[in-house]
Amino acid sequence: MNKFIAWIRRTLRQAFERVLVAFWRRAAPVKTPQPGYSTALADNLQMHMNLVMPLADQTPVGRARAAQAVAASIDELFTGLNNVGTVHFARFDLIGGNLCMFSVFDGDFRAYIRDFISVFGNVFDSLLGLVADPPPSPSALHPEAFIDWIHRHDAFQIPRDITSLFPNEKNINNLSRDLVLLLDANPNVQLGRFSGYPGISAAQIRHNSGLGW
Amino acid sequence: MSVELRLADLQGNILRGYRKAYVRHLVLSVDSPAAARRWLLDAISGDESRAPQITTAEPWTERRRTCVNIGITHAGLAALGVPPASLDSFPHEFVAGMAARNMLLGDTGPSDPSRWKPEWRHREQVHVMISVHADDPVDRAAIGDRVLGAHGAFRLRAALDGGAFSGGKVHFGYRDGIAQPQFYGVHDPDSRRDDQPFVEVGAMLLGHATPVENVRWEVPQPGVLGLNGCFNAFRVLEQRVEEFEQFLTSCADALLKDPLSETLLPPGAEAQWDPPMTRHAALRELVAAKMLGRWRNGTPLALSPTSPSPRPPMGDAGLNSFGYATDPDGQKCPIGSHIRRSNPRDARTVQRNTNRSRRLVRRGIPYGPPYDPEHPKTAERGLLGSFMCANLSSQFEAIQYDWTNLGLLDPRITGSNDPILGNNDPLFSHFSFPVGKESVTFRGFPHFIHTRGGAYLFQPSISAIRHLALLGSGNAAGPTHGA
Repeated sequence: MNKFIAWIRRTLRQAFERVLVAFWRRAAPVKTPQPGYSTALADNLQMHMNLVMPLADQTPVGRARAAQAVAASIDELFTGLNNVGTVHFARFDLIGGNLCMFSVFDGDFRAYIRDFISVFGNVFDSLLGLVADPPPSPSALHPEAFIDWIHRHDAFQIPRDITSLFPNEKNINNLSRDLVLLLDANPNVQLGRFSGYPGISAAQIRHNSGLGW
Repeated sequence: MSVELRLADLQGNILRGYRKAYVRHLVLSVDSPAAARRWLLDAISGDESRAPQITTAEPWTERRRTCVNIGITHAGLAALGVPPASLDSFPHEFVAGMAARNMLLGDTGPSDPSRWKPEWRHREQVHVMISVHADDPVDRAAIGDRVLGAHGAFRLRAALDGGAFSGGKVHFGYRDGIAQPQFYGVHDPDSRRDDQPFVEVGAMLLGHATPVENVRWEVPQPGVLGLNGCFNAFRVLEQRVEEFEQFLTSCADALLKDPLSETLLPPGAEAQWDPPMTRHAALRELVAAKMLGRWRNGTPLALSPTSPSPRPPMGDAGLNSFGYATDPDGQKCPIGSHIRRSNPRDARTVQRNTNRSRRLVRRGIPYGPPYDPEHPKTAERGLLGSFMCANLSSQFEAIQYDWTNLGLLDPRITGSNDPILGNNDPLFSHFSFPVGKESVTFRGFPHFIHTRGGAYLFQPSISAIRHLALLGSGNAAGPTHGA
């Protein structure tokens, strides 16, 4: 009986929250704040991209096709990533019905994606054929649209100082309405990141390790 | 598919410089859109009596006394009546505008847009910049007055005057404007100015093959508006000459006490210079050269690392006929110097496909009085600079963000800024260059160049100007000359 009452309460509360968020969304839409560039140079190294791309076919067969497509082009992808020059790490994952690419790179996001297009855009274009609502193809002829599309599918990154997103919220213990709306607008969010060697570029690591750059 | 390159359809200041001694940049708001559009039509009519004519890239049969060009901001395109769908087709950085991109450009602290000159602070009111280039100031004033008298078309926000110094020098004393790209299909390979590789014209003009393999920049729509257009990052850059000269003195003071200076500049070498210098003065000049990558007279360190006056003397072509492949560690020209960061030529770079793709055409002219060491603080002085390219994000901003600041192009300079142009803070700034197996490092220098204003401008083709002029008349399509 107690479990049933708890379930009723939880269901009612969630229904109320859904209505409330819908009301907030209409009454006071929040503009997603953009992560800024930093004048501290070290902060502009080791940037993260968390690309989450819903597959057009999310059945096991569709997911298998995506796994097969990545496997078939993995050598070209890795060679391309190596040639971009600014990439620390990159990996491809299937998470639920999403094809994901997570990478750590140095410098400007748009410059990274642009280099990415020129070095192995054609390989990526073929992968995007499996994705729902893909960007115009080929990327080399639509670089700006491609970059904008990647940006839209890149998970929003919450800064270390979360309160910097909402300077008008005085009480950090409050569950900020703006934060709720931000998560409402951005289903995929990176909550935190750690580096064991901050402020060092991929090329510096390669150079100092004698790997060549 | 390439768009035909008709020089008569291009604005004339993109692919070549006029080398005029006087410039007036008229920063304008559109007061009456209809009158402004009429002025645009008059300015491409071929009839000088109707309005000063926009100068095209068509070869001259005789030298023109004056040249006129126009750049339009995103707000300006809107003010002229460009419809929203077309406005939205422009690249996002142009839509946002230069001030909004300040963090990426390093315009912070004294260069923050909130501290820019009043005419630039309300960017929604900066619509058009008409640039008048002239051989003498009387002609410059006359043409400028004719533009302003255009029947209420424009309201003047500021008239920015620049005047060339002898020898093409700028306030810091360096000769400027030496290295400019030469383009396939535009410059004659048999009369090339230097030995640098030609660049695809799509580095400057929309609708053409770019230096980035297979990549074409999207052309704003309709095609007639975007094709053969070019973007111009116009910057008002205050040059803090007194601080710069003081820094050189402090560096020379330190080097005089450092035995490495004897390897850097063999004792007595300065006596062979033309003109000969004292040891201290020569070390000042050497530091200035290491910071820029050229001696102040334009001689490149890559070709003449220990003397500004090599023998035999270098002609103008020689001043730009060099690379860095034979100087991989920067023993001659420091990797972190201004010209090597901004244009690494054949040097190895981290971003391996960018050496040739981040090219800019630079047009600059000094403003303010020349620096006088006896009266250093007489007035503000600096450079009115135009940095032109087909894609601001890929070229101008990428250089500014990745290379001028941050130094991402080579791991040995990553984490440092350009010693001259960089957004330097004395608490962290440093500039190093190798001397044999050791190195010299200078620290604690400030930001020598403060941004005082600027805007992202679109320089439309002549066909595009006609299109703009006919907006609202039901006749705006104009010739498309094949997209």
